[in-house]
Amino acid sequence: MMPQRIQLHVNGEPVSAEIETGEMLIDFLREDLQLTGTKEACSIGICGLCTVLMNGKTISSCLMPAAFADGAHIFTPEGLQAVMDRDSSPEGAPDPTLWRVVQESFVQCEGLQCGICTPGQVMSAVGLLRENPHPTEDEIRHFMAGNLCRCTGYQSIIRSIQLAAERWGGMHATL
Amino acid sequence: MSATRTPPAAKKLARVDGMLKVRGEAKYTDDIKLPDMLYGAVLRSPYPHARIVSIDVKEAAALPGIVRIITSKDITQGRFGRSIWDIPVLAEEKALFVGDRVAAVAATSPDIAQEALTLIEVEYEPLPAVFDAREALSEDAPILHNAPWAYRGAVTSDTDHPNLQSRVRLQNDGNVYQELARSKYVFTDTFTTATRHQGYLEPHSCIARVTDNEVEIWAPNKAPYRLRQQLAVWLRMEQTQVHIHPVYIGGDFGGKGSPMEIPLTIALAQATGHPVKLRMSYAEDLMAADPRHAASVTVRLGLDEEGRFMALDVDAVMNGGAYGGFKPMADVNLIGIPEAGSAYRIPTISIQNTIAYTNTVPRGHARAPGSVQMHFAVESLIDMAARELQIDPLELRERNMLRDGELSPLGDHYLEVRSGVTLEAAKKLLADTPLPPVPKGEWVRGVGYTFYQRPTHGGVTEIGLEPTTAGQVIVHVPFPDQGGGQLTLGRNILSRLLSLPPENIVVRQAETNELKMDTGCGGSRVTVTASEALHQGGKELLSVLNENFGLRDPYTVEELKASLSRFAAAWDGNWLRVSHNATNIEHVCSYNVTIARVRVDRGTGQIVVEDILSAFDVANIINPTSHYLQLEGGIIFGYGEAVLEDLEIQEGRVTHASLGEYKIPSIEDIPRVYMALVEGGRGVGQENVKAAGELSNVAIPAAIGNAVADAVGVRVRSLPITAEKVYFALRDGRDA
Repeated sequence: MMPQRIQLHVNGEPVSAEIETGEMLIDFLREDLQLTGTKEACSIGICGLCTVLMNGKTISSCLMPAAFADGAHIFTPEGLQAVMDRDSSPEGAPDPTLWRVVQESFVQCEGLQCGICTPGQVMSAVGLLRENPHPTEDEIRHFMAGNLCRCTGYQSIIRSIQLAAERWGGMHATL
Repeated sequence: MSATRTPPAAKKLARVDGMLKVRGEAKYTDDIKLPDMLYGAVLRSPYPHARIVSIDVKEAAALPGIVRIITSKDITQGRFGRSIWDIPVLAEEKALFVGDRVAAVAATSPDIAQEALTLIEVEYEPLPAVFDAREALSEDAPILHNAPWAYRGAVTSDTDHPNLQSRVRLQNDGNVYQELARSKYVFTDTFTTATRHQGYLEPHSCIARVTDNEVEIWAPNKAPYRLRQQLAVWLRMEQTQVHIHPVYIGGDFGGKGSPMEIPLTIALAQATGHPVKLRMSYAEDLMAADPRHAASVTVRLGLDEEGRFMALDVDAVMNGGAYGGFKPMADVNLIGIPEAGSAYRIPTISIQNTIAYTNTVPRGHARAPGSVQMHFAVESLIDMAARELQIDPLELRERNMLRDGELSPLGDHYLEVRSGVTLEAAKKLLADTPLPPVPKGEWVRGVGYTFYQRPTHGGVTEIGLEPTTAGQVIVHVPFPDQGGGQLTLGRNILSRLLSLPPENIVVRQAETNELKMDTGCGGSRVTVTASEALHQGGKELLSVLNENFGLRDPYTVEELKASLSRFAAAWDGNWLRVSHNATNIEHVCSYNVTIARVRVDRGTGQIVVEDILSAFDVANIINPTSHYLQLEGGIIFGYGEAVLEDLEIQEGRVTHASLGEYKIPSIEDIPRVYMALVEGGRGVGQENVKAAGELSNVAIPAAIGNAVADAVGVRVRSLPITAEKVYFALRDGRDA
């Protein structure tokens, strides 16, 4: 297998690395970079556990060849702290306040139980609220349909995102 | 009683593991990498039943990066299992199902391990196979195991059919045949339930490290102390030589009590001298783990002229698959079997469940094992009887409902049967929840009712408390949190008892050599078992602080923290330990009334579940939000089983071996859920609790089936209840 070098930004940090031909982004993140906050279940782009933000959009990292991430800005579930630690928001980064509000809302509404799907749910919810800060319940259901959860029955995930939207909206109103 | 539509957002009492999980910091088995770790992979049988003539590993072994390839010849410990030891680590003479383990490799990377599998040459001699449980018990059926009664833990004898895994018969004093013959009306039918996967999103995985004296395991196992016990016996080691390290568990629903590939991973680690990680792909987990037993349940119900139940006869046959070793109970059967009809007053009852070996994926525990199969059959038949007798289905149930002070059909005397208040709560919920008008088209609406009663099961546990110099308390617990909120339970009880703000309490899952024993997270038992130990521990800690460290009532938080700090300074390093044996607990049950409302399209058979309303008898609640969500999530778990999930097996092969084909509910699929929690009453122990986890999902399939029958008059007797079944039944004017 031919190694190939890619250069990209992960959680705002520049990364230059050799990858294997056919290596998927999820394996690059989990195995090469040890960023294990991104989880894997179905491996075929259905469950949403491996959701990350690539150039601002949510993608399934199990379907994304690492080579296609060359030049991209990737944010993974661990990325919030790195973003908050920087003086200015890195390119492609979600607003750290939005990200934190989503995390806290998932905790408060218990939009999680076992937690294996949770990092992916949070990334998708951040992706949703970036695009649509005031989603209706139907819009939440539609956008989040690619993130499976077996524990919660989803109602608390809907409530988590509604609470996050409400708080995020409230913060904007006061600006 | 509280009828709740939206649970309170947890503020101070939010889950202890919440922030770790939203940040992706919680470590699951597959997130762990050990130095010098190798990666395992399993070659699985493509045949449902085949003699293994030869295995040639030469070419595979020559692949650079391959460290070792093992077959059954390399296994020295023999078969294993949780109760019956009938599972070979690697198939010996024969492979017994599509997915049975034939050989395993250890390599320096997962990709090399997978590539090696393609280079192993196995010569098979396919044998006749049997896939259906009833056929497996017929006289000329192909035989899977030569002498299954000889396995350690077997419950059969050499006079039984060799394909019999187990049989339980339960009855009360009456003669069910006589009483059925004397009944004015007798209804009978047979119902089937599908094989369904637990659907935990973390597939089974394991890391094993073996040294001369010790075996270390990292695996998503929900009963680490029982696993340690099972492995120690199997490995012929002392329990203290086996360590099960705490890791987060990515969903359980009954499936994560099984050792699955842990013995094989140990064998690979032994053979290579390296730590080995073996992670099943999701496809492997769907085809070769331990899904729910498919069942065929024949029910006969006798009633008198006033619609009173006279006699119930339940005869179930369940598909146990190729091995029985994933079932933990000593009777190699399922804990929910006695629940058939237990929500009612029935003078004469007989229940039988027979589990057979077949050449299909081994079956194990899935949330409320046995209960779901029995409940769907009995509640469907009761509904059919009501409709036939032109009695309102709710009225017929109410007339026969088990009431406080009465014995259950099998003679259980409960402290309390809170059926009446639970039913009232359900009726109120229904009255308070209007539905919008039925949309235009051929939609017809229907309402389905079910009653359910579940006993609370106990277990044993031990906890340890440790003071810190900062005035905090560390609570060491022996069980993991597979999502149910068990760790948060410890913090909430201690916080309340000590009047210590929750941020001063740290709950930690102990290593297996730190505490004595624990039954694990199964049978919805952790709250029941651990709450008492935690309660006693809190009381003891207070009395130690009172007697020796200057704590005087009433105290402030600062005084308490100062006292804890003094205790920590004088502390000898031994935790304040409390063991609790809750195996012989107060006889407590929970009652549940569930109502499903559906609309069905007469033209296409499409079923829309509009909402599910459920009233639960729950006693005292310790983690309000987690408790609510355990029930709410369970209802959706039951909903998936009711209308979507069927791990289809054709000629012994799981054909739905991906989450693309095996559909579990997504956020777009779910109905609205409304719950009423009936608090109060008499629960278990000083915390006065009842179990919740498996109270939630059992009733959903029958409730939806009954609602469909109410809407369009079609009785669907098999799970899942799909549009296709309803469509063809409507077209042909019959039941499905």
